[in-house]
Amino acid sequence: MNNDPVDVLIIGAGASGAAIAWSLLETRMRILCLEQGDHLPDKDFPSRHEDYEIARYGAFSCDPNVRRLQQDYPINSDDSCITPVNWNGVGGSTINFLGHWPRMRPSDFRTKSLDGVGEDWPLDYHTLAPFYDMNDHNTGVSGLGGNPAYPDYKPPHPPIPIGKLGQTLARGFNEKGWHWWPSDVAILSEDDDGRQKCVNAGTCDLGCAAGAKGGTNFTYWPMLENAGVELRTRARVREILVDESTGFATGVLFHGADGRVHEQKAELVIVACNGVGTPRLLLNSKSRLFPDGLANRSGKVGKNLMFHPLTGVAGVFEEPMKGHEGPMACSILSQEFYESDPTRGFVRGYGLHSGRSTTPMTYALGGYGIDSPIPWGAEHREIMDNVYPYLAGLTVVTEDLPEEHNCVTLDPDLTDSDGIPAPKITYKLGDNTRAMLRHGEDRAKEVLLAAGAKRILTKGDDKVWWRAGWHQMGTCRLGNNPETSVVNSWGRCHDVKNLFIVDGSIFVTAGAVNPTSTIQALALYIGDQIKTNIATLFD
Amino acid sequence: MSEHSNIDPQSPLDAILDVLIPANPSRNIPAAGQLGVATFVTEAAAQKNALNTALIALLSRAGELADGITPDTVRQLETELPEAFNLLLVETYKGYYSRPDIRALVGVGAHPVHPAGYEVASESPELLNELTAPVRARGPVFRDPPGGQA
Repeated sequence: MNNDPVDVLIIGAGASGAAIAWSLLETRMRILCLEQGDHLPDKDFPSRHEDYEIARYGAFSCDPNVRRLQQDYPINSDDSCITPVNWNGVGGSTINFLGHWPRMRPSDFRTKSLDGVGEDWPLDYHTLAPFYDMNDHNTGVSGLGGNPAYPDYKPPHPPIPIGKLGQTLARGFNEKGWHWWPSDVAILSEDDDGRQKCVNAGTCDLGCAAGAKGGTNFTYWPMLENAGVELRTRARVREILVDESTGFATGVLFHGADGRVHEQKAELVIVACNGVGTPRLLLNSKSRLFPDGLANRSGKVGKNLMFHPLTGVAGVFEEPMKGHEGPMACSILSQEFYESDPTRGFVRGYGLHSGRSTTPMTYALGGYGIDSPIPWGAEHREIMDNVYPYLAGLTVVTEDLPEEHNCVTLDPDLTDSDGIPAPKITYKLGDNTRAMLRHGEDRAKEVLLAAGAKRILTKGDDKVWWRAGWHQMGTCRLGNNPETSVVNSWGRCHDVKNLFIVDGSIFVTAGAVNPTSTIQALALYIGDQIKTNIATLFD
Repeated sequence: MSEHSNIDPQSPLDAILDVLIPANPSRNIPAAGQLGVATFVTEAAAQKNALNTALIALLSRAGELADGITPDTVRQLETELPEAFNLLLVETYKGYYSRPDIRALVGVGAHPVHPAGYEVASESPELLNELTAPVRARGPVFRDPPGGQA
């Protein structure tokens, strides 16, 4: 292993690490990415096998506490109503994400000014728009232009089919006079650049063996490795090192595939480990200069953790909905209740996402991300024969407001297999979120009935989905004020001028949309700012 | 010899599984015991201590029940040994629905979903245009505050 110093060291080969590596490629700097996991070979995609569904409950669970692979780290979620989910490997969580690709909206960047909650971002939608476009092209995004919920833009590929289920629900939204639109998706509707279009397998969470889904294992990384970016797998970073005389990052210590600890020096360090992994790494990087964790003079590292709390409502229709055919999460999206309306009893809003239904085993075990098996016996037979095939559902995806008590800290006892302290999540739902979930559930029932549902199925309790912690945001947020934020308006740590953060942890607010398109647009924007400011980068 | 090897993969486990997921004779859908899910469950128990312990406890208690295996006695097992029962239920669902032949009987392809997938027709531009017309007719539904760097 060659540990010669590099110009740029990126930690994490997921959504944001890949995007910023691509942005910096043209600088001809020597770029190295350290990734704790490995490549996923074609034969290991569960959807290549007859018993593919069972992988969801073992080695391909979205929950690292269930998966417990060598590259995973445990997460203590005992004090949280939502547990984080992820994938550790080349592609990161774009391996098992569902590819839903909505952008944040202009008001998401100005929640303080507009609605008196959260904080304003130090940049706005229109600043990010060209980077959204660039990333949509690189990723292969499909969708329908002209969505009246956004300033005008057009996805590069035509929409994927919304299917019978989507058409049925769309008519329900039209009946109510509410907004809906075919979902933007990081899934190809046509062959593109050597990648195969979607075959409607419906198992996006088990990795897309076709390469139709825009995981960075299929989009950025093949291109980056061909261009000379070094991607070193099974390399788990233990801590980021600093020079105590200059206060600059000098590199990292990492556990290599050989089981030994190595030092890797770098001029510029970029952290891309997302909203749980990044604060964990910074909090584990203590020194005399930074006794409370690296870049944490504000005390904000790990604070303001935001998820997107979810609940679901399903309708039983007269005809089979064929919900297992087509991408899992992506059919249509309503943003009718996205913006604040004082008459609703809460601020900000939510989206109504039409997922398709899951496969039979997952439905029988309670649904995706839920551990609550459906009834057994005669009732089981009735549900699987006369309910399951006729289902169409809506998921209420709410905006989570930043609250300091929701946080990532280090667990005093729990460690990963290399002995590195594991993260602990402390998180509870705010009253505003609870009000949104109730409102969303009622509106979802209305629209399902308007679409022709004969019966509505709800969970009958106020619990949110346990494994809904896909979207991990806010724990190292952007800002112009070093007292209240961790990184400046272009991702550079206030406290360490050659240390950048580019993942979901830098979000100031969460919006109510899946964050990956914004994470990658931000990473490209930060890369652009690094190039623009290269002569005075560390001043 | 490990304890799990003493579990007979035939009845009464088959009988319990038949109650958990009964057959639908009109559609030729077999019950879980008939399908042989007991083999899946006992093999899983050989790998998972908690499931193995649960299975032994459930079968031991089932053997004590005078009425044999009926929906009522299975309900009694669920009431008396809820955690063990839940472990068996989860494994039964896994074993049953991981079978390609069962997936086909409930309307889902028996094949590995890659590379074949499913054929889903794209909506025509005319249909999409018709469906989205009322949405477009309302005009923009977003707020666009004054922009720039904050």
